[in-house]
Amino acid sequence: MTTRRSLIRNWAALPALAALGLAFPAAAQNPTEVKVGLLVPLSGLYARPGQVMKMGAEMAIEHINAQGGIKALGGAKLKLVLLDSGDTVEKAKNAAQRMVAQETDLVAASGAYLSSFTLAATEVTERASLPLLTLSYSDLITDRGFKYVFQTSATAASQAEQCLPEVMKVAEKATGIRPKTVAIITDNTGASVASVKPMRERLLKEHGLTLVVDETFTPPLSDATPLVQKVRATRPDLLFFLPTVISDGKLILEKMNEFGLGQARIPTISFGIAIAEPEILRTMGADMLQGVMTCVGSWGSKGHEPLIAELKTKYGEPWMTQNGISTYADMWVVAAALEKAGKADKEAVAQALRTLDLGPSKYYPGGLIKFDEKGRRVNAGLTIVQWQNGVPNTVFPPDLAVSQAVWSKK
Amino acid sequence: MRLSSLVPVLAFAAAYALLSLLVTNSYYQLMLTLVLVWACFGLSWNMLSGYTGLVSFGHAAFFGLGAYTTALGQIHFDLTPWLMIPVSALVGGLAGLAVGFPTFRLRGHYFALAMLAYPLALLYVFEWLGYQELTLPIKRENPIAYMQFADHRVYTLLALGLLVAVMLFSQWIERSRFGRALMAIKQNEAAAEAAGIDTLAWKLRAIAISGAIAGMVGGFYAIVLLVVTPPSVFGMLVSAQALTVAMFGGIGSVWGPVIGAAFLIPVAEILHAELGSRFPGIQGVVYGLAIIGVILIAPEGVYWKLRDRFIKRSRAGAAAILPVVATSVAAPARIKPAKDAPVALSVRNVSKSFGGLKANRDISFDVPEGAILGIIGPNGAGKTTLFNLLNGFLKPDQGEVKVYGRETVGMKPHQICALGVGRTFQVMRPFLRMSVAENVVLGAYVATDDDEEAKRLAADAVARVGLSDVADKLAGELMTKELRLMELARALAGQPKLLLLDETLAGLGHGEADEVVAVIRRLAADSVTIVIIEHTMQAMVKLVDHFLVLDHGAVLVDGEPTAVTRDPRVIEAYLGKKWVADAQA
Repeated sequence: MTTRRSLIRNWAALPALAALGLAFPAAAQNPTEVKVGLLVPLSGLYARPGQVMKMGAEMAIEHINAQGGIKALGGAKLKLVLLDSGDTVEKAKNAAQRMVAQETDLVAASGAYLSSFTLAATEVTERASLPLLTLSYSDLITDRGFKYVFQTSATAASQAEQCLPEVMKVAEKATGIRPKTVAIITDNTGASVASVKPMRERLLKEHGLTLVVDETFTPPLSDATPLVQKVRATRPDLLFFLPTVISDGKLILEKMNEFGLGQARIPTISFGIAIAEPEILRTMGADMLQGVMTCVGSWGSKGHEPLIAELKTKYGEPWMTQNGISTYADMWVVAAALEKAGKADKEAVAQALRTLDLGPSKYYPGGLIKFDEKGRRVNAGLTIVQWQNGVPNTVFPPDLAVSQAVWSKK
Repeated sequence: MRLSSLVPVLAFAAAYALLSLLVTNSYYQLMLTLVLVWACFGLSWNMLSGYTGLVSFGHAAFFGLGAYTTALGQIHFDLTPWLMIPVSALVGGLAGLAVGFPTFRLRGHYFALAMLAYPLALLYVFEWLGYQELTLPIKRENPIAYMQFADHRVYTLLALGLLVAVMLFSQWIERSRFGRALMAIKQNEAAAEAAGIDTLAWKLRAIAISGAIAGMVGGFYAIVLLVVTPPSVFGMLVSAQALTVAMFGGIGSVWGPVIGAAFLIPVAEILHAELGSRFPGIQGVVYGLAIIGVILIAPEGVYWKLRDRFIKRSRAGAAAILPVVATSVAAPARIKPAKDAPVALSVRNVSKSFGGLKANRDISFDVPEGAILGIIGPNGAGKTTLFNLLNGFLKPDQGEVKVYGRETVGMKPHQICALGVGRTFQVMRPFLRMSVAENVVLGAYVATDDDEEAKRLAADAVARVGLSDVADKLAGELMTKELRLMELARALAGQPKLLLLDETLAGLGHGEADEVVAVIRRLAADSVTIVIIEHTMQAMVKLVDHFLVLDHGAVLVDGEPTAVTRDPRVIEAYLGKKWVADAQA
């Protein structure tokens, strides 16, 4: 589609150029505007994270344009094209198809929040040769041999791998003893299962940990007592706790506090963003959450203070979750790829993304702004965030940490 | 199949194919494909729920199994969807049988709710199996062998092929014995069973075919979306989608789901595309309001609304041509059966209790071949219960029933019907949207396996009750008397030797009752044995050879009409004690 349209534009331009006696190639004409897609859930169950991603993208585009736009394209401004991926796989696929069919001049896109939406959307963008950046974790996204998908977060398997040793370090540092026993309470949703699987299969063993409680539940939970009782009975040194639905998280944390296991008396570690969303404070007191940690793909941390402040004044968000910061970063990566490509063409941008090497990452945790042959960000790290006095603070990695991990010394 | 029925489907297919060939925008093309996918799925739902009236909230079970079969086949065994989609159909069909067998014990809302459980359970099973997210691997080489096409039009044409096949198949079923049996089940399962239709067997066939279509569509959906997750194929919304398109478009017709899908899928998507990013969520509200609006205007669905309007208009002209000749044939002379005539029906010591209520107590009687037996008694005497015991709806607690010497206790109604026992109902159960001839032909299926023969028997039965003139009218347009006669014809079409008539004269005026009585007499003259339940004594006294009077579930009097009407016990039972003296005075 793009080729056809640019062809027409070229044809239209040619006689004019010929008349002027100039032999410039038509492509040297710089567009005044370059469009970037944002395919996120704006309606339905996942509208809230989608909104935050939109905020991040809008802020980034504002910043990029304020700093002179894309210099390689004569200061062309970025323009965000919003598409609602809805709340089902089918809607996400439809939106992606609409994006490639009707927004033919997009040079890249970011999306689509939930792994299964991203999987469906990338089936479309791959075939349309549109580069898509994603913060979704699923390993499958970049395991399919696709050439046009770029995963900025560490994959689920990699996060599990990275998280465990770091948690061990934090624990040892705080308590002076190396943890020996561990409990897992997880729901059976895709992301949770993917995170827990490598732990059960080998990671725990590799770190000399014994699994004393291993419970999987189906959301929504009606009563957390039996789960928490098992934890109380075994008193593990660590508890991995993976709810996706906020109400489940609330039930379990309340029960843990009731049983005197809260406040990090049993260090509790989650995965993903669910437990650290601002919304959770609407249903749960900050004291219940005190000490709870979570391993997240990225987080607004040290060095991002101006961004976090801007997000707060502009949109009223109390802190910057992965959805905000990662999408903010995505737009900068697209801008960098455009600078490198030197033309507003998706194929050129894709090629630029594949060969991009901007050194250490500023907004994503750890690693480089560079993608490997699968499309995974090289050495992508993660952040560990801990609830401290009503705010989820980054406690790991050290260069991003805004405070020390608080850990009980039983 | 008649050519005239093929034409609309093929014309629609040709128009749709032309449209899809003209559309180059891949997004619109995807919409064109999805409309067909959901129309097919709606037809699958229609096959079971539309025709039998057993509402299924769980069609996602078959759809999801189909989707996972195709996806897993390619992921684990590198099997092409060209092969796996037929396998998905097979899996869906088997799942239909597995689900139908236990679930058909339930009826009405209970069936609907039980069906709801299957996809929800499967959703968790597939999550537990670790199939949270599956993608069909991209085939960069030889994509066509794996049903992956760069040109989206191919998907639309494939889907169109599936839809046309399903539509034609549905139409063929609708017109066959199969479809008529299902429609009979929908309108009244008991009446269908009494008319000799093996309802469980037909329902199982329907759910197997329905499941097979759903499985096939699910497999195709997997290759369109390329991603399969439990909520996207087993979710509540998937089952609901089938219901929505079918109910919106019109249930029980091949066009309903097609109309529903062709309207709802694009509208939902346009709303989503146009409003979703500007006023998130508003699309759901607008969509919901649109559906409510249309349902209020066309409660039975768009198709039936349009059809009724169209047909009414064309019928208004045709009605005048249709002559409705009152049939009055003098009752022929008939000879009462001889004393030593063989026994058609023999009942011995039959009892039936419902909890503490003894509905029938120790009832015994014989009906000789060719006789007319009248069973009378006040309301609640146990007359209809007795019929239900005789034709197999209920099983007696004790006692025996013999039809032409064969013990029938424990047999199913359709088996008893096959022995030559026909039955009508106190509350009429006409199939209102069928013509008189179609209504009656349902009753003929028990007598013959040949559909043409069944039509002939039906026409014969219609003639015997004198309804030939109105044979092509819809049952919904008939008067009470004609409906009564039509029910009689339906029972007769099965070539019964013994007819059980339950209050056939109820609700008829004097003259009308006489006409019906004349018909019954003629049947008896043709050596059909008749047992008739009735309230109104006068009409009965002239008709029957013998009376059996029931009161409080037991036989009160068993005798000749003249004797019975004077019996003080009968008068007391009917009118109360104080009338006994008056009657005898």
